[in-house]
Amino acid sequence: MIKINPDEIKIISQYIYQITGIALDEKKAYLIETRLSGLIDEHGCKSYLELYHKAKQDAGRTLERKIINAMTTNETLFFRDHSPFELFRHKLLPELIDKRTSKSFPNSPITLRIWSSACSTGQEVYSLAIVLRELLPNQTKYNVKLLGTDISDKAIAQASYGQYNKFEIERGLDRDKLERYFHPNGSHWKIKDDIRAMALFKKLNLMEPFNSLGKFDIIFCRNVAIYFTLEDRKKLFNRIADVLEPDGYLVIGSTESLTGICPRFEPQRHLRSIFYQLK
Amino acid sequence: MGTLKILIVEDDPVTLSLLAKRLRKEGFEVETTHDGDDALRRIAGEPFDVVLTDLLMPGETDGMGVLENIKRLYPHTEVILLTGYISVESAVEAMKKGATDFLTKPINFDELIIRLNKIDDMRALIKAATDLRNAMEVTEKSAADTIQELEIMLSEFRSAFSEVRDALTEPHTHSQDRIDKALNILQPLVN
Ligand SMILES: C[S@@+](CC[C@H](N)C(=O)[O-])C[C@H]1O[C@@H](n2cnc3c(N)ncnc32)[C@H](O)[C@@H]1O
Repeated sequence: MIKINPDEIKIISQYIYQITGIALDEKKAYLIETRLSGLIDEHGCKSYLELYHKAKQDAGRTLERKIINAMTTNETLFFRDHSPFELFRHKLLPELIDKRTSKSFPNSPITLRIWSSACSTGQEVYSLAIVLRELLPNQTKYNVKLLGTDISDKAIAQASYGQYNKFEIERGLDRDKLERYFHPNGSHWKIKDDIRAMALFKKLNLMEPFNSLGKFDIIFCRNVAIYFTLEDRKKLFNRIADVLEPDGYLVIGSTESLTGICPRFEPQRHLRSIFYQLK
Repeated sequence: MGTLKILIVEDDPVTLSLLAKRLRKEGFEVETTHDGDDALRRIAGEPFDVVLTDLLMPGETDGMGVLENIKRLYPHTEVILLTGYISVESAVEAMKKGATDFLTKPINFDELIIRLNKIDDMRALIKAATDLRNAMEVTEKSAADTIQELEIMLSEFRSAFSEVRDALTEPHTHSQDRIDKALNILQPLVN
């Protein structure tokens, strides 16, 4: 494997920051090497600098997309950390439905808009969809819009296809849920059509404007801001506040906190879970 | 999705089409060519996960040549050799040069598919492992920062509370003044 030199680390990190907002320090040389060595081979490059120049010159941005796919960390699992999905099931959804029911005309469907803002390969979205399906058996009464976005088009493609290998399936799904909501497809498992149909997937870079998406009742923004600088985190959560309904909910990763990041949000506690609401 | 892209290099058209059909049916993405030189040109144009190549082929580049070139230029591509018979010497040579596997003809399809699925699993695991390592490092750092942030806040609250206690218990002061002073101390904490 071609080694990366200190100058190249600077240039490549700066480039990755520009295209994704992901902040890498010098300690991440190993990461750049393992993630980009495949592309180095594929494009017959002699150095990381050459790969960088090729990417910059590629007007079609194919190489840039490949670098994004390679450099993003798509680690995720079904029902990750468990408690956010319990919170969603027992607190956020019932409370939201209550609020929306009293506001809407009797017998007209209630619209719920939910956004998983860095959904990786889709596990978070399908976990939410499964909870929605279990909690709201009468789907015609509700008009649920469940949106998953991510910067990696490879991750989004897998999410949209809804197919997982045995290692991915083993993580977070019990036998019962697996059999109920997935069907085997060769050596893989595929999400059933009725669950798939509840979700919409789209490529989106959180560093770019997203207010065109409209407003959401519930936003999951978990384990993505941790890859950004403090400054960018502040800006991101401020923009998330702009697209959250005044009485909506924000759920962030279990190691994250908005203290000192965005004063517009107020933490709320439910049992062992924290979520955020606008002040 | 998550399945391998395979190039088959085989000069016998019957074996080639049988193989391609069978592997496509298994859900693999398959392309074919009947000689080694063309194989090398194809690989230069687009990446493959696996190259399945016959060992003995007419033309400039035989199976061993395909193997050597691929391992030199694209070490991430796995090579499986197919041969009519395999001598111990050539098997050893192939493995030394970096072949992932070799199979003797007539090809046992079930065996081939098991081996391909193993390669697929291995690739998925390698990707998952590097993702997990990086995610863990970043998440740990985030947890550490969060804890530190909260500790700082906690100590600010603690010292404010003791100031408030002192203010409220200050002797010889009018009670309204004591309350005002205490509220003043609390003011910056409730923004
Ligand atoms: C560790 S995963 C988190 C997945 C899921 N939310 C969870 O908690 O399990 C982080 C995801 O953030 C995505 N990501 C990184 N930078 C991004 C950006 N600028 N905009 C949108 N998504 C980004 C990556 O592609 C990756 O899929």
